[in-house]
Amino acid sequence: MATKQSFLLSCALAGAALTFGGCAGNGMGLDQSGRPLPAGGGGDGALTADFASIQQHVLTPICTVCHAGAAAPQGLRLDASNSYALLVGIPSTEVPSILRVKPGDPDNSYLIQKLEGHAAVGARMPFGGPYLDAATIAIIRQWITDGAQRPAAAASRGFSVGTVVPAPDDMLVDAPTRLVIEFDGELDQTRLDPSSLHLEAAVNGVAADAVPSRRAVALTVPTGNARALVVTPLSPLSPGRYRLVAGAPPDTGLAGINGVRLGRDDAVVLTTFEVLEQP
Amino acid sequence: MSISRLAFSACWMLLAFAGAARGEPYLAVQQGYACSSCHVDPTGGGLRTDFGIVFAENVLPATGLPSSVPAWTGRIGDFLRIGGDLRASWNRTEAPNTPAQQQSSLDQTRVYADAAVIPDRLDVYLDEQLAPGNARTMEAYARLNSPTTGWYLKAGQFYLPFGWRLQDNTAFVREVSGISMTTPDTGIELGFERTGWSAQFDVSNGAANAGTGSGHQVTAQAVRIAGNWRLGAAASFTNSEAGNRNVEGLFAGVRTGPVAWLGEVDLVHDAGFPEGTRTLAAALGEANWAIARGHNLKVTVEYYDPDRSVSQDQQTRYSALYEMTPLPFVQLRVGYRRYRGIPQSDPENRRQAFLEVHAFL
Repeated sequence: MATKQSFLLSCALAGAALTFGGCAGNGMGLDQSGRPLPAGGGGDGALTADFASIQQHVLTPICTVCHAGAAAPQGLRLDASNSYALLVGIPSTEVPSILRVKPGDPDNSYLIQKLEGHAAVGARMPFGGPYLDAATIAIIRQWITDGAQRPAAAASRGFSVGTVVPAPDDMLVDAPTRLVIEFDGELDQTRLDPSSLHLEAAVNGVAADAVPSRRAVALTVPTGNARALVVTPLSPLSPGRYRLVAGAPPDTGLAGINGVRLGRDDAVVLTTFEVLEQP
Repeated sequence: MSISRLAFSACWMLLAFAGAARGEPYLAVQQGYACSSCHVDPTGGGLRTDFGIVFAENVLPATGLPSSVPAWTGRIGDFLRIGGDLRASWNRTEAPNTPAQQQSSLDQTRVYADAAVIPDRLDVYLDEQLAPGNARTMEAYARLNSPTTGWYLKAGQFYLPFGWRLQDNTAFVREVSGISMTTPDTGIELGFERTGWSAQFDVSNGAANAGTGSGHQVTAQAVRIAGNWRLGAAASFTNSEAGNRNVEGLFAGVRTGPVAWLGEVDLVHDAGFPEGTRTLAAALGEANWAIARGHNLKVTVEYYDPDRSVSQDQQTRYSALYEMTPLPFVQLRVGYRRYRGIPQSDPENRRQAFLEVHAFL
């Protein structure tokens, strides 16, 4: 009986091994991190000393193999939404007296010490290798030496706008309580500045592009869909014409839209709509 | 043997060799033993018991030591037991479009101690990593035992029980589950060890919650151990600021003649990703062929799906490893690993050749 059980169990184990063997994905439709490509293809180019490039070429494809999700070692999540906030100016958990990234000082940044293999505690990263080559580490060092600036690549690449609700020129009986914009790439909630978008209302029925008054809004990236941005007016919208305008400073997450690099003097109208008078 | 001679022997062994003290679960499957037969920690790994030392001296190696060489016991007096674990390696890694890397490194130097404060009732256990880097406490806990009933209570910092406690912490099942011998956690463990059964229930902070001051992890595992097979199930729930995480695992081992087979399948639901919950899966199949005494050939096939909702992103890993134990407490390993993943990722398609030297006490 025991022999029969052993035989069946060993067959099951061998079968499972053979089943799993040869199952590596062909990567079709995926970027180098194994994530689905955004519409129109993903960003590319050589590694440069800016955070977005480091995220794209190093942190996402290499580090997030382990450092992602709720079990990320040391609680250090290095996905694009969390990495900057958890790296720069944050004490390391292994040696709290050393910052993970100390702007301007790569030698005393724990990230560099772990990558170069001379950290005070623990193994060299990436755990088990292969380790980053000297040229790659030098670029990360340069980014830290330059002050470990916030990511700006998303701004330079920018986003294209897909669906917008309300759609352009919609005439609405009921005032919308929220507006939704869908982009072609994932947004970073932590980098959204309240000034990234604003809602302008026409004054006294004059055309919206005449003398607008701004309405305060809250910006939210919903859980489960980082490509969407929810714009919530902080006060009810009265009847009239409105337009939603993107005009963000270049260091925020929405600094480029539809090919226009936004600055304080540039703006892109995302939609216009009208809230009708109640009969 | 005097204490000074014991200490000298310990230092000599630690300095003369580089290696790892952990036995591997295949040995337990080959022999039909529970982990607690050979290790002080009931869940395996680390300091050896008297039986484990006798096994390492007389059963594991190809040849024993001359009778003129005093036997290592690990005991200092009646109350203290010590051990150690070193590992050094040379490896060469090749990946597409990347210059080959090769290096030698001292991977691990650990010392263990167990003080029987009240013999058979209360133990204090310490696992200290001395290298690489500065000293770091990996495990430090007190364990209250009830020898007559099989129950024990552990409190402090220790490794959580989940699946096969593999020597290779880079195995997909260990990385994906997030529970390995690189991730000690702080909490309590209620355990049960009786003939044919091993079970644990843990409540801990959650290793990934380090530094956050919030969250917790609950882990449970049960293993049925028979003469030539065993079957286990494990589950873990983590609450963290990043999101909740559930891990479920099934693992089994069986011996057929000279071959010990191991298998494990883990499924993870993790809400800590920016886009929401992601489901991950990992599996391990391993065969260990005891070619002759002191000689083992290990072949593993591993599978990893980093996101079940994304197609064509799976990875596999194949390993072949020859393990030789020429003398007691010394192991040599030479092996080759082949990773396969999506073609646009160079690291996912790397190849590794490695040579490891292990020594342990």
